[in-house]
Amino acid sequence: MIKIALITCIVFAPLGAQEIKLPPNLDRLAAKATEVVDVTMDANLLQLASRFLSDKDPDDAHVKKIVGGLKGIYVRSFEFEKPGEYQESDIDSVRTQLHTPAWSRIVGVRSLKSGENSEVYLKTENGKIGGLAILVTEPKQLTIVSIEGTIDPDQLNELGGHFGIPKVDTRKETGHGKDQ
Amino acid sequence: MGKTSKMKATLILASVWMLSCVAMQGAERGFDDVVRAISEQFHTRPLHIPFFGLVSFAAAVAHPAGVKHLDLAVFQDLNLGDHWSRDLAQAIRMADGGWEPFVRVHRPAETVLVYITQERSDCKLLVVTVETGEVTVVELKLNPEAMQVWLQAPDAEAVRNVSR
Repeated sequence: MIKIALITCIVFAPLGAQEIKLPPNLDRLAAKATEVVDVTMDANLLQLASRFLSDKDPDDAHVKKIVGGLKGIYVRSFEFEKPGEYQESDIDSVRTQLHTPAWSRIVGVRSLKSGENSEVYLKTENGKIGGLAILVTEPKQLTIVSIEGTIDPDQLNELGGHFGIPKVDTRKETGHGKDQ
Repeated sequence: MGKTSKMKATLILASVWMLSCVAMQGAERGFDDVVRAISEQFHTRPLHIPFFGLVSFAAAVAHPAGVKHLDLAVFQDLNLGDHWSRDLAQAIRMADGGWEPFVRVHRPAETVLVYITQERSDCKLLVVTVETGEVTVVELKLNPEAMQVWLQAPDAEAVRNVSR
């Protein structure tokens, strides 16, 4: 099962700057949520942040290299007190954007036991990777991550745990072949 | 030690002291702009915190938890109104310190906003906590190690910082 550390974030930056346009109704969900978290890192902030990653620490150095190809990281997460506070229709417009030819779903994991549904989408432009999106729905939690720029899906494992991005082990999950 | 050497040492010490004071004033000016902007936006003034200058000086010398500089302002008994979020963001923008919104954590009784900006080779964070009728503003200048901790889990750090 994909383990997602909960991030609750609200982004102040103009949503138009993001690759995935977050629907306005997500703001309405904030009123029902017990915790909302938004992390916004545009290219300037990423550049600034990467200066604080150590070149000596192998993990940090690797992350620094990955960040060099990114244009932005946006995380928005909602945590609710009880199930049923949000509907699938609330994120329909996000899914619609991800179901266009530019995007391909590369990982999908659904757990009947916990009700968790995790999906990773990859955007390709002219044969090059242009972005990555993670959508995680749980009965009491909703997380949307948008990563803009050049990133290999395998690099997501290294990037997880930095900049508020949840840890997503795509290699492990795809390796088990739960859902492709 | 001769008289000339003593004078030289005194001059050097005085110069170092003055330079550090100028540097601290520079950092405070940016923070003062934020405080002034919030004061004007919400028609209030921050509480006077006795001896906070000493705390700030201790932070500048000892760097506790990687904090190289610390400033704090507390506004109480505020009538924030329905659009406080927009008004607060506008006040911080008006302060013109190059503050970029970075993290926002919202809970029913508390909202934590974190802004980030660069000052030469350092990074400064502005942590704004909003509770019922109260706004607390903390400016932190962090060393690289402390900054790395923030970058690992910015939301968790934002909440933890407020809980301290």
